[in-house]
Amino acid sequence: MLEEGVVKQVLEEAVARGGDMAELYVENKRSTGLRLDSSRVEDVSSGSDAGAGIRVIAGERSSYAYTNVLTIDGLLDAARAARAGLSEGPTPVADLSRVEPGTTNPVEIDPARVPSTEKVDALNEADDAARSRGGEVVQVTATYAEVRQEVLVASTDGRLATDDRTRVRLGVQVVAARDGQIATGWEGPGHSGGFELLGRRPPREVGASAADKAVKMLDARSAPAGEFPVVLAPGAGGVLIHEACGHGLEADTLVKEASVYANRQGERFGSERVTIVDDGSDAGAWGSFGVDDEGTPSHRTVLFDKGVLVGHLSDLLSAKKIGAEPTGNGRRQSYAHLPIVRMTNTYLLPGEDRTDEIIGSVKRGVYAASFAGGEVKPVTGNFVFGMSEAYMIENGELTYPIKGANLIGNGPRVLGVIDAVGSDFDRWEGVCGKDGQHAPVTNGMGTVLLGKMTVGGTEA
Amino acid sequence: MSAELVDLALVVADRAAGSEEIEAFLVHERSFEVKAYDGDVETLASAEPRGAGVRVAAERSVGFAYTTDMTDEGLSSVVDQARENCRFATPDEAAGLAPAWDGSPPEVPGLVDPSQEDVAPEAKVSFALELERATRAHEGVRAVEEAVYSDSDTEIAIATSAGIAGSYRRTDAWCYSVAIASDGDDQEMGFEFDLARGLRHLDAEDVARRSAQRAVRVLGATKIPSERMPVVFDPYVAAQFLGVLSQALTGEAVQKGRSLFKDRLGETVAADNVSLVDDGRVEGAPSSAPWDAEGVPTGRTQVIEEGFLRSFLYDTKSARREGRSSTGNATRAGFKSVPHPSSSNLAFDPTGETAAEVMRRAERALLVEDFHGVHSGANPVSGDFSVGATGRLLENGEPGRPVKEVTVAAPMLEILKGIVAVADDRRWLPFAGSYGGATTLVAEMTVGGLGG
Repeated sequence: MLEEGVVKQVLEEAVARGGDMAELYVENKRSTGLRLDSSRVEDVSSGSDAGAGIRVIAGERSSYAYTNVLTIDGLLDAARAARAGLSEGPTPVADLSRVEPGTTNPVEIDPARVPSTEKVDALNEADDAARSRGGEVVQVTATYAEVRQEVLVASTDGRLATDDRTRVRLGVQVVAARDGQIATGWEGPGHSGGFELLGRRPPREVGASAADKAVKMLDARSAPAGEFPVVLAPGAGGVLIHEACGHGLEADTLVKEASVYANRQGERFGSERVTIVDDGSDAGAWGSFGVDDEGTPSHRTVLFDKGVLVGHLSDLLSAKKIGAEPTGNGRRQSYAHLPIVRMTNTYLLPGEDRTDEIIGSVKRGVYAASFAGGEVKPVTGNFVFGMSEAYMIENGELTYPIKGANLIGNGPRVLGVIDAVGSDFDRWEGVCGKDGQHAPVTNGMGTVLLGKMTVGGTEA
Repeated sequence: MSAELVDLALVVADRAAGSEEIEAFLVHERSFEVKAYDGDVETLASAEPRGAGVRVAAERSVGFAYTTDMTDEGLSSVVDQARENCRFATPDEAAGLAPAWDGSPPEVPGLVDPSQEDVAPEAKVSFALELERATRAHEGVRAVEEAVYSDSDTEIAIATSAGIAGSYRRTDAWCYSVAIASDGDDQEMGFEFDLARGLRHLDAEDVARRSAQRAVRVLGATKIPSERMPVVFDPYVAAQFLGVLSQALTGEAVQKGRSLFKDRLGETVAADNVSLVDDGRVEGAPSSAPWDAEGVPTGRTQVIEEGFLRSFLYDTKSARREGRSSTGNATRAGFKSVPHPSSSNLAFDPTGETAAEVMRRAERALLVEDFHGVHSGANPVSGDFSVGATGRLLENGEPGRPVKEVTVAAPMLEILKGIVAVADDRRWLPFAGSYGGATTLVAEMTVGGLGG
């Protein structure tokens, strides 16, 4: 993307007045998006967003400047803006050496070479399939998005890394209505790879599945409020692990002791069934990459080993503060952002329990099939997540759908009530927000039984 | 930079060939941010982002493309891309750019604080450090997760081949701090902020006190038994509720069946003391602007009047679908986004009481001071509303026992019909939009806590 000589010149300018380290991040992102709504392709957009950010670290202070002007003059201006306030002699710049990526995400069919008509066809197929699931389907929105993000990271301590990330995602949102009742259903498969996603997850199936969810939820009755056993569906249920455990183990919050997990390494939080990893090197997964946005190779990190807290996630700065190696979790939304500690693909590893036995063991409880999202306060570990598709379990069987329900609880405590983990592991793709930055993440798990959770509903 | 940016937009719009129309939307911003932590500066960031978003409309189809490359070559290529994308959009009778209008839109006062240009970076750094120190100094606060000062100076220009051309500038400055309070085993977090057109209008001491109070007052909070009871929203939470409501109030959401207000125009949807207004020209409010993201002059729309649903909010396309005019409610997330209708500055009219009077009237109620999981637990299509809450129990109208890990739930139309009072303590909150939150009493909701 830039010649090595230019990279070195910019780094030299950034540390010309001192500082412990400077880093250049260059990004060229090309995106294409299509949106079908009301059976019309309404938005067809494409764009190119290119920029560079320069970070200068001096003691505890990070200074950052970015620009869209990628000429040598634009880059040198940004370097000077980033070093503002420093007044020492120059810091030496080490010879640059290539970082080996943690994984390679294969792209079988380059989406940029696929004609737009095929993308339009995919959306129409998803729309047709969703509408064929019954007259109750009143609205379908289908989106197709492809992004190719080329990244270069170089630093004065000699790191030089590049990554070429292609991601493709299909999303289908369905609204169903009957007798004044309205319900929604969503499917959003995505991966790090090319247009082959649509072969693996045919738009027809994705559309039909989203429609089926919406139609089923039309029969939903109000959810009960109170404490119940809760069964989490494979894949989507992993939102719980992401919210309840992942965020509190991001080392930026640990360093500030703003996490309920601070200073608790080695402590037991759950049973032998609970092993949780974050794995940015899971080839092809939605949250994967070769190197993170600081040039650290992607990595598999064990967070809980058989119920015991053994790990954390870090970027360069937080790793340095806790005296550990960075885990490859420094991510940024774009060149306009400083890197922060983020999850990638976070998995509760599969157990040996059978799905039918897990559900069969519940006398009265809630089965959470899909979540609309979630939120956690790292300092307390308290979380809430909404259920967009859920059912009552009565005498070991799913009886009727429920609506307007969410789960609220506390991260460390919820790990202690994971009473069963199924072998039916599945992945669910999402977008995680933190400090105003968005990042693609995967949640993964099998069917899970939580012995006791608070369910918020409208029936007291 | 104003004349230059609109000139550049005009150059792009002039590329329109034959019967096609072109709209160019250009943004040029200068921003600065300083984050303080533990008595020192943690990060400093400065930037000058810029970019262009271009729409090409031809034969009832619209294509869009954007770029950060503002050279002749970059702008030429973005027009070609938008034109190419136009070929794949389904023709739609309502699609197209905004029509040109006569005259100039009335001035919106106070978009720029002229003194902001002279504020040195050192003053901004001092402000953030002072905010951090003041938050930490508060009794009961153990640490400050971060204290941030941020500002931007933005020039926005639009030009269309149909004859719209203009630019405006706005300055913004905002700050926030996150206090962590602890008391034995319990830890709580408090977030508060302030926003204005310039640093001189921000009050670090006041923000510090409010963040600290939010953290300290919920220490030792517990669940309460599940019960149907009156609920009071504080201004912060009331604004979050408006944020959900607003998604159901656009003409587009209604046309597409994605609104709980579908088929309810002219009906009673709220208590008879409830009036809701969207106003794109409120002085000092976050979303105020002379014209919207398509270049249509902003205005004032009475959405709910004394309980009756009077109007929805429209951009050009959703308005054209109903044969009416845009209400000036097109917005964009930035130059990389196409315009969509959304509220500008949305707020309930006050019903004539102070916050203290509203709380006294509530007697015994749950005072909600924070919602959790609003984006998942509230559904503007079905009207379902069930979200996590933290707050305090009101006894005889006085805030007392802190409460957490409960849910509050009721269908959104029931909440609107249950609104007893909206206090006069309105505050504009920018939650992906701009909402005027005020202390609001709702007659009854389900509070989910202990017991099944």
